[in-house]
Amino acid sequence: MRTVWTGLALLAMTMTLVSGSITSVVAQGAGSIVGEVKFEGAAPAPKVTKVNKDKEACGEEKKSEDLVVGPNKGLKNAVVSVVGVKAPVPKPATKPTLDQKTCQFQPHVLLLPAGSEMEIQNPDGVLHNIHTFSTANPAINKAQPKFKKVMTEKFDKPEVIKVQCDAHSWMLGWIVVHDHPFIAVSDAEGSFKIDNVPAGKHKVEVWHETLGKMTKEVEVKAGAPTKVTFELKK
Amino acid sequence: MEDSHQPSAISYQPRSLALISLRFTLHASRFTPLRFTLHASLFTFLVLFTPQAWAQTGDASAGKVVYEKKCALCHGEKGDGNGPGAASFDPRPRDFTQGKYKIRTTPSGKPPSDQDLFRVISDGMPGTSMPPWTVLSEKDRWNVVAYVKSFAADSFKEAPKPVELPKEVASSEASIKRGKEMFEAIECNKCHGNAGRADGPSRPELKDDWGNAVRPANLTKPWTFRGGGSAKEIAARLGTGLMGTPMPTFIDSVEKPEDIWHVANYVKSLAPEKPNFATLLSVRAVEGAIPDDPNAPFWNQQPAANFPLAGQVIADPRNFNPSIDLVTVRAVHSASEIAFHLTWDDPTNSKADPKAKLFADQIALQFPARLADGNERPYVLMGDGSNPVYLLRWSSDGGVGEANAGGITKITPQTGEAVQAKGNGVFADGQYRLVIKRPLNATDPNDLAFPVGEFLAVAFMAWDGGAGETGAKMSFSSWYYLRLEESASKRPYVIPPLVILLTVVVELLVVRVARRRG
Repeated sequence: MRTVWTGLALLAMTMTLVSGSITSVVAQGAGSIVGEVKFEGAAPAPKVTKVNKDKEACGEEKKSEDLVVGPNKGLKNAVVSVVGVKAPVPKPATKPTLDQKTCQFQPHVLLLPAGSEMEIQNPDGVLHNIHTFSTANPAINKAQPKFKKVMTEKFDKPEVIKVQCDAHSWMLGWIVVHDHPFIAVSDAEGSFKIDNVPAGKHKVEVWHETLGKMTKEVEVKAGAPTKVTFELKK
Repeated sequence: MEDSHQPSAISYQPRSLALISLRFTLHASRFTPLRFTLHASLFTFLVLFTPQAWAQTGDASAGKVVYEKKCALCHGEKGDGNGPGAASFDPRPRDFTQGKYKIRTTPSGKPPSDQDLFRVISDGMPGTSMPPWTVLSEKDRWNVVAYVKSFAADSFKEAPKPVELPKEVASSEASIKRGKEMFEAIECNKCHGNAGRADGPSRPELKDDWGNAVRPANLTKPWTFRGGGSAKEIAARLGTGLMGTPMPTFIDSVEKPEDIWHVANYVKSLAPEKPNFATLLSVRAVEGAIPDDPNAPFWNQQPAANFPLAGQVIADPRNFNPSIDLVTVRAVHSASEIAFHLTWDDPTNSKADPKAKLFADQIALQFPARLADGNERPYVLMGDGSNPVYLLRWSSDGGVGEANAGGITKITPQTGEAVQAKGNGVFADGQYRLVIKRPLNATDPNDLAFPVGEFLAVAFMAWDGGAGETGAKMSFSSWYYLRLEESASKRPYVIPPLVILLTVVVELLVVRVARRRG
C-alpha cells in the first residue's frame, strides 16, 4: 500500500512539473501570428466535373477545390504552421470530422492532432471509400457503404495525407496530421491566426496543395499579434 | 511440416493446401476449428507467432542474383516496376519500393506476410503477365521474397498479423441470395457492374496509386482473379482490399461480419470455375425457323462453346492488352439456313468517335474461302493472296455484313444483293449478344457453302471500339473445327428398324438353308 501512495505522489509531482513547464512557456511570453495568404496573378476558373452517377446525392456538377481564390485574392485552404517549436497538442473537445456530404470532402483540408481519433461521416446514402495516400502512416483504403454512417480513424505520425474516393473520382481532400498546436488553415478570405506562439524568432511555413510551400522568418512579441503575408503563385 | 520451427524446414505447399492454411490462419485467433488436428494447430501457431523465423528464411543477397536474372526485366533493377519491358504491360508490373501489395492476407495499410509474397511468386497472378515461378527452386523463391522486401525495408519492420475473417459460411441458395442483397447494398456494381462484368459507371475513372488506369475485375471470369477464384480467396480479397488499387477493404463495412462470405459465395455463383474451352464448334441441325432475337429462350437451349481470344501482336498496330478474351458461340442450321449466336463481354456499347479514339464495336467469324484438301488453312490473320478467307461480321454501327479478304489490309466488303447475311445484336450489362445468319448454300461465287457432315474451319476476331480497337488492333482466335451435324430428322426411326428387319431376314434364310441341308 505504501508503494502505491509513493507512486501516486511521484506521479502528482511529475504532472505538476510537466504542467509547470508548459505554463512556463506561456509565462515567458507568447503572442499570435495573424496574416493572409494571397494568390499572385489572375485566378483561374475552377475545374468543373460533370457528375455521371449518384446525381441525387452528389448534384449535377462539382467544382474542384484545388485552388480556391476569394475576394482580394485571398487563398483558401492553405496550411500555415510554425516550424520547429515543440509543444503538446491539446486534445480536441470533439473529434475532428471529415464529412462527405454531397460527395465532397468537408472541410477540404482537415487539421488532426497526431494520435487523436477522427470521424469520417457518410450522410449521402451511397458508397464512398476512404483511400489515403500516406507514407508515414499506413495507407488505407476502406469502403464506407451507405449504411455505415460513421467510421473512426486515427493517424499517429505527423504528415499531410491526400484522401480520395475512388467511387467518385472528383472527391479530393487533405488530412494534415500535426504534432504541435501552432498551425492553422486559411479561410475563404485567405486569413489565418495562430495563437499562443512563444515569443521569439520563428520560421513560418505555408503549404498549399497546388501551389506548394513557402517559408518566412517572423519575430513574435509577447502579448501582441505579428502580421505576416504570404503570396503564392503557380 | 509440423515441426517446421526450423526456418529452413518450411516448404512450399501447393495452392489447395496453402488455402487451407490461409483460412486457418485467418480464423485461428477467434475460432477453434474442430476438424484440424493438433499437428495442424501447431503449424498454424508457428505460422502466426514466428514471423521472424519466416523473415529469416530467405537470403536477400542470394535473392538479388535471382531477381536480377528473372524479375528485373519487368520490375526494374531498382524494384520500382519500371523495367525495360514494363511499358507494354497492363496491369503494370508491381513497384516494390512503396511496400504496397494487392494480394495479401493482412489488413488494409499493412504489408503482406512473407507467405503471401511467396505464394504470388509461386502461383503467379492469373490475368496478368506474372507467371508462376515454379521454374525456380523453393529456396530461390524465398530468397527473392527477402530481396523484394528490401526495396521497402521500412514497411516490413513489423510483422503484420493476418486479417481475421469470420467463420466460413458454405455456399447455399440462401447464402447466395443474401450475398446478392449485400452486393447491391455495398455497391460492388459501381465498378464491377450490375452483372459483374466490369462495366460499372466508375470503370473509366479508376486509377491505381501510381496514376495508371486500371480495370475492375470481371467477376464472371474467376480464372482471371489475381488472387485466385475460390470462395475463400474472394472472401480474403473482400477482407483485405487490394492495396494500391481502388478496391477497398470491406471487413468492417458489411452489415454483419458473415456477409463477407455471402458476397463471396454470390460472386462465386456468377460463373463456372473454368472456361472449358472448346476445340470443335458443332452446328446442330434444327427444324423450322431459327429465331433472330439473341435473347430468345431457343438459344439458351443450344450447347455453348467457349473460344479464347488473344491480342493481335503480329502486324502493326499491335494489341498487347486486348479487351475481349473470350467469345461464347452457339450454332445451328436448318435445311436452308446456318445461324451463329455469339456472346462476348465488352464494358461499353461504343459510339464511334474517331477524334476521341473511339470506334464501333465489332466481331467477325472467319472461314477459309475454299474447302481445302487435307488440313491446310489460310493464314489466320485474314488469309493471303493465294489462300483467301470469307468473313461474316457485325459492327455496332453498321450491323451485319459479309466480306472477302486476302490479308489483314485487303478486305473487300460485299455490297448490294451479294449480302445475304442478316442479324441482330443487343447490348446489356457489359455484354453483347448477336445472332448472325445466312443461307446454307452459296448463292454467289464469293460465298462459302456449308456442306453438312464435313470438318470445316472457323476463327473469331473481336474489337472493343471503346478501348480504341479498330483495324489490326483486335483480338483473335486460332483456327477451330466447325462441323454441321447431319439432320437428326427420321434416321433414328428408320435405319435401326431396317437393320433389325434385315438381320431377321438373313437369320431366317440361314436357318432355312441349314434345315434343308439337315
